[in-house]
Amino acid sequence: MNDPLRRTAWTILAGFLVLAVATTWIQAVAGPDYRDDPRNPRLVASRVGRERGAIVSSDAVVAARSDPSPDTSQTFVRSYPGGADYAHTVGFVSVLFGARGLERERAGDLVSNRDSTISGVLNALMGGDPRPRGLRLTIDDDLQKVALMALGDNRGAVFAVDPSTGAVLVAASTPGFDPNTLIGPDAHLAGQLLDDDPDQPLLDRSIATTYPPGSTFKVITTAAALDAGIAGPSTEYPDPGALVLPGSTATISNYDGKVCVDGTTVTLEEAFVRSCNTVFARLGMEVGAEQLVATAEAFGFNSVIPYDLEILASAIPEARSFADDPPAIAQNAIGQRDVRATPVQMALVAAAVANGGEIMIPYVVSDVFLSDGLIESSTTPIVWRRATSPASAAVLSDMMERVVVSGSGRNAAVPGVRIAGKTGTAEVTGQPPHAWFIGFGPVDAGPGEPQIALAVVIESGGSAGETATGGSVAAPIAQKIFAEFFE
Amino acid sequence: MTRNAEAVLIAAVATLASIGVAMVQFAGGTWLDADVALTFIAFAFTFGLIHLAFRAWAPNANPLILPIAGFLAAVGFIEVFRIDPSLAALQRWWLAIAGISAALVVWLLRDSGVAVLRRYRYLFLAAAIGLLLLPLLPESWPIHGAVVNGSRLWVRVTVPFTDIDLSFQPGEVAKVLLTIFLASYLADRSEAMATVSRSIGPIRLPEPRHLGPVLVAAGAAFLVLMYQRDLGASLLLFALFIGMLYAATGRGVYVVSGLVAVVVAGVVAYQQFAHVRVRISAWLDPFADFTGAGYQTAQGLFAMGSGSLTGSGLGLGRPDLIPEATTDFVFAAVGEELGLAGSIAVITAYALFVTVGIGIALRCRDRFRKYLAGGLTILVGIQAFLIIAGVVRVLPITGLTTPLMSYGGSSLLASALILALLGRASHEERV
Repeated sequence: MNDPLRRTAWTILAGFLVLAVATTWIQAVAGPDYRDDPRNPRLVASRVGRERGAIVSSDAVVAARSDPSPDTSQTFVRSYPGGADYAHTVGFVSVLFGARGLERERAGDLVSNRDSTISGVLNALMGGDPRPRGLRLTIDDDLQKVALMALGDNRGAVFAVDPSTGAVLVAASTPGFDPNTLIGPDAHLAGQLLDDDPDQPLLDRSIATTYPPGSTFKVITTAAALDAGIAGPSTEYPDPGALVLPGSTATISNYDGKVCVDGTTVTLEEAFVRSCNTVFARLGMEVGAEQLVATAEAFGFNSVIPYDLEILASAIPEARSFADDPPAIAQNAIGQRDVRATPVQMALVAAAVANGGEIMIPYVVSDVFLSDGLIESSTTPIVWRRATSPASAAVLSDMMERVVVSGSGRNAAVPGVRIAGKTGTAEVTGQPPHAWFIGFGPVDAGPGEPQIALAVVIESGGSAGETATGGSVAAPIAQKIFAEFFE
Repeated sequence: MTRNAEAVLIAAVATLASIGVAMVQFAGGTWLDADVALTFIAFAFTFGLIHLAFRAWAPNANPLILPIAGFLAAVGFIEVFRIDPSLAALQRWWLAIAGISAALVVWLLRDSGVAVLRRYRYLFLAAAIGLLLLPLLPESWPIHGAVVNGSRLWVRVTVPFTDIDLSFQPGEVAKVLLTIFLASYLADRSEAMATVSRSIGPIRLPEPRHLGPVLVAAGAAFLVLMYQRDLGASLLLFALFIGMLYAATGRGVYVVSGLVAVVVAGVVAYQQFAHVRVRISAWLDPFADFTGAGYQTAQGLFAMGSGSLTGSGLGLGRPDLIPEATTDFVFAAVGEELGLAGSIAVITAYALFVTVGIGIALRCRDRFRKYLAGGLTILVGIQAFLIIAGVVRVLPITGLTTPLMSYGGSSLLASALILALLGRASHEERV
């Protein structure tokens, strides 16, 4: 009568064997996958309570800090005194939502090395300083605040750099969010609200969204023509109000459907200043797809711009995909159809013109400093690439200056400062146009003279809606930033 | 001689628990404090007391069952301490109370032996059902039910003239009482129940009257548990009934009909109860509803995966991120901090417990003692299997405490009763 009991015992033991196999599978075979799963809160959680270095703006305003926790010894509480001001660039570390921004990308500097891992012990033995490092940003707090204020309730972005170094002066994206809410007691609710918000406050529109660049792309079309020797500023073009594209019934017309000057002929420079679509459509077809794409790529399109954070690549289609399609070339040449650009890319276009045709690698961290304030390392400006020849850059600079003096960009003018720029009003079917302004100042800056290049975009016209243009909506925002910078 | 070996092993268990606590404190950066000593004292007192009770009133009790139980309790305690030291401080009191209770049971049975339990089986059945019904008492009564995590399993007693609320899960003790009832009932009837009285085709059935009371008891228990939404306990009791019926009669028809009943009940439950559907889908793909129903399972998998082979080390993982890590999911917490090595050690310890317990039952000549020891062992084995199977996704999560390892006084008390009865039953066979 013991056999059934024995069999029952064997059944249970077989069950335990199944458990042992399943456990081995989870821990030994699938283990690394579970461990490295981005949803595994352990990676972030291991950083949450530890001391992290401070992050400060170039003018020493604190954007992120760690203070000893009042509740438990040995742990620290992170806070972001700047609130939404630096939310996208600095990011956050949250158990629920992971890490973002510099808090994620520069965790190696920010987090203390004092731990019991082998590398931590080795570091201590080798006399390494285990204290967390702080980061000094290149962003100017006053300028950043002015940019955010100017963007207001609109969806949009401002990205500004020092053209001669690549140091980022403004990285603003609206709507923003307060990272403190994502690490606070109601983080779950706050995160859900942000996730559900159709305006996507978590999205950094300055580097992670592309828009059709509209007429601001004419800078690149012009650079292509100048570099290829096809045209100069005084080259004359016909001046129709609308241009029928070859091989199709489609037309390209000027902003209000009118002629640019008097309907006879117009110089390239005049067409640039007044942003005549018909002229640049014709110019684009003369330049050809190959040269147009090559120049755009020289300015950084189709490349990932090296940066402290991940930048979405701006895009123009491969040349051979539209080389035999003149209407496509014409539309791409005025920044419509398939051309897409991030605000940071267009800021670098302006910076290239300001910097004699060379683009510097943008950077937002200027110094890594130790807890006693000593600077451990500083970022050295590095040339990224040559976008256009110095001669073409000089011609473009003159043309862009005239845009602000007497053309579509007059709203960006600052008295006493030579500002150059280009407006853009990017048509989007089914919604109001995106309003663009790119520019820089001062023109012909002397050695050591502070200079700024920027791009402003207001998504779907902002509060101006269908009536928005780059000149009426984006240029005034650029003007406020220029005014603050040159104050 | 064997009692001395048991004493040494118990000292080792107490040392293990206190070293574990010391390691957690060291990893947390705090210097060792009274917790280390208190933990040693709690384990030495609890298991030492049962040991002394065995020495005095059950000197021939099996010497292995106590150290194995102590080992599981120690590993569980270390994780409870690691996750919440204040819970661990309470757990030390529960341990002491459980130890005193077990010693008391051994003392009560000193002359009469476990055989006395056999006589009062309907009293135990009534007590078990009464305990299972307790959580249904209305909130306004001094002794009343309470809903925790969607299941009405708890009873709160407001101590008169104070604001103190005592909570316990009567179902834990009821399971032990039901096992005693079943062992007693089967001891009287198993031969009759094993006799084939009629056949329907290849299926041979015993007399219906032999099955009646068992089915009534099982049915009553299930109704209560289903009403309280405690699927884990329902499944556990069902498996216990089937296991004991088969062990006592050797008739496969009980197993087959039991499995059919489980499948039918499962299908009905799946269609009738939304919370059952949620659990099933969370089992099949915990990552589909990662932030909702699948959250606990997914967190358990993350914890165990992060633990890998050797674990993060005591106090160096983050088992506090797993929901219910001190009770249902303590196995995942062990897996994270002690790695596969720790998880396999725990499974092995349960397997040893089952082996030793069934060994006691096999050696029993007396039917009641045999079924009692077997039933109690099956109870612990199946409960451990069901909850760990939920954690490692062999089965859906059923919501049971991990025997001996979980935080909780009711669960520990039930385990202590089982230890006392197993010890006493094994003693009586060797006299």
